[in-house]
Amino acid sequence: MQILFNGIITGLTIAVFALAYTVVFLPTRVFHVALGGVYALVPFVTWSISQRGGSTSVAIALALIVGTSISLGCELLNHSFLEKKQTGLGGHLISSLGIYIAIVQVIVLIWGNETKLLKQGTDAILQLGSVSIPMTQVVGAIAAVIVLGFFYAWLQFSNLGLQFRALADNPKEFGLQGYDVSRLRLVAFGTSGLLASIASLLVAYDVGFDPQGGLSALLIAIVAMIIGSQQSFWGALAGGILLGVTRALAVWVLSARWQEAVTFLVLALFLFVRPNGLLGRKGRLEAEA
Amino acid sequence: MNYFFHLIIYFDIYAIVAMSLNLVVGYCGLLTLAHAGYFAVGSYVYALIALKLHAGFLPASAMAVAIASLLSFAVSLPAWRFKGDFFVMVSLAVQALIFGLCQNWVSSDAEPGTLRNLTNGTFGLSEIPKPDLFGWQLNDPSSIAIFATAIALICGVVSGVLLFSPWGRLLQVMRDDDLAARGVGKNTRLVKLQAFAIACGMVAIGGAIYAAYVGFIDPTLAALDQSILMLCMVLLGGVGNFRGPLVGTFVLLAIPELLKFATIPDGIAANIRLLLYGLLLVVMVHFRPQGLAGKYQVD
Repeated sequence: MQILFNGIITGLTIAVFALAYTVVFLPTRVFHVALGGVYALVPFVTWSISQRGGSTSVAIALALIVGTSISLGCELLNHSFLEKKQTGLGGHLISSLGIYIAIVQVIVLIWGNETKLLKQGTDAILQLGSVSIPMTQVVGAIAAVIVLGFFYAWLQFSNLGLQFRALADNPKEFGLQGYDVSRLRLVAFGTSGLLASIASLLVAYDVGFDPQGGLSALLIAIVAMIIGSQQSFWGALAGGILLGVTRALAVWVLSARWQEAVTFLVLALFLFVRPNGLLGRKGRLEAEA
Repeated sequence: MNYFFHLIIYFDIYAIVAMSLNLVVGYCGLLTLAHAGYFAVGSYVYALIALKLHAGFLPASAMAVAIASLLSFAVSLPAWRFKGDFFVMVSLAVQALIFGLCQNWVSSDAEPGTLRNLTNGTFGLSEIPKPDLFGWQLNDPSSIAIFATAIALICGVVSGVLLFSPWGRLLQVMRDDDLAARGVGKNTRLVKLQAFAIACGMVAIGGAIYAAYVGFIDPTLAALDQSILMLCMVLLGGVGNFRGPLVGTFVLLAIPELLKFATIPDGIAANIRLLLYGLLLVVMVHFRPQGLAGKYQVD
């Protein structure tokens, strides 16, 4: 039971980050690798402001603004220009990888390579029967549920959410209908940066953070999206929770060192057995190519 | 002078890596992030055979090539089915598995190199013998540099002969239009298997030279950062022809040397170098997507 709870709590934060990635990937098909840089940077901004005597809420707010701005900057200064040049997806991926590398090195140059902690003191423990959960994880899980609930409600019930789903479904058709695709792309990158910043802070408050953690977290998020579904925004949630539970089981059965290998083994299994993911519909071959 | 030979050895190793990666990225059109894994396979196999069986460089590296080529099926078989971003993800899965094996095939109560403690985990393998050739031990940097250059030249000749042959032209056709190649009766699946086997075998030779020269290896050789660096190297230099990867290798080695002239402290020089790589990648995609001297634009 403890394993299941731990897995679900971890899975919720994976789901938030997977959603951050999906929000850009579905409408634009861009592999937004720079999001790993945003994920790595945001806790350092929070930590710096806290160290200079800033209140926690101000530090978090400013860090979220920084994270969102960088993601927006990626679109404004990089991907939008590549889109105008009709650069292939490989070009977007490589440039985003370049931005990620640059962000991480800037972090290392400013703050160093050491792991840091955001929370101070020891955690209180919430006891639910035989299950013990640290309060940081409880708060993190509640925050993740609120963020996910808010996003899905916005997506489902708002006019902008409807346009967003339409863009994800068929970007060309959406543009031909006269909608402003570039504005919605900006919304996608901004939302993605905000969600990634939130996911990053949730993890940083729980287990700490270091400059190199962004890429591995991003890869886990991408795996979650692929095993959930690449056709639906709900895939990130399903994939995130499944992956969280699987990784918790891997720790229990094997060891924490095998978590990454197990994660990518699950990915390989899904790619071969169910490439459309848990919630994906089987499409026509030419549509998948 | 020893430093100059050291640079030559590193240039040779990375030139072999770049030429092998060019086969996959430039001629098959598949971005792979598993290459560092195969480099590590080459290093570990060479180190284990040299340490445990006291074999010379040639038989040990031949075994490294054979095992890396065999393990190349892990990426080449999925390449039948996946392209683009999904192939990148599959290659990442393979890289993670190889890294996991290098890091976790360890047991504290067994001697390194035994079946229970094959890789010695994060402690790595040390005291790997220097290369020897027909009983002649190469201990000083100058002789290792000549030896590494000779091997790099052989790899270059093999790579050149293959790429300028009908087989190389078939690779390019398959890269540009897989369906058309199959339409004229070409077995593209077999060609992909061959290309990956050759590329992984070649990078394993680079790994074997590295292990023999440095004398110590650990799982960081198979880390994702290494794969990304290798990919940066060929993307900066350019792929799809013979000179692009060599230019990339030169740039990779030239940047740290130029930074020395800029009197940047050693502590941050590596980070500045990586920062420059990152920025160069972005600039290249915008202004010269085929790389400095490449022919094929990765799409």
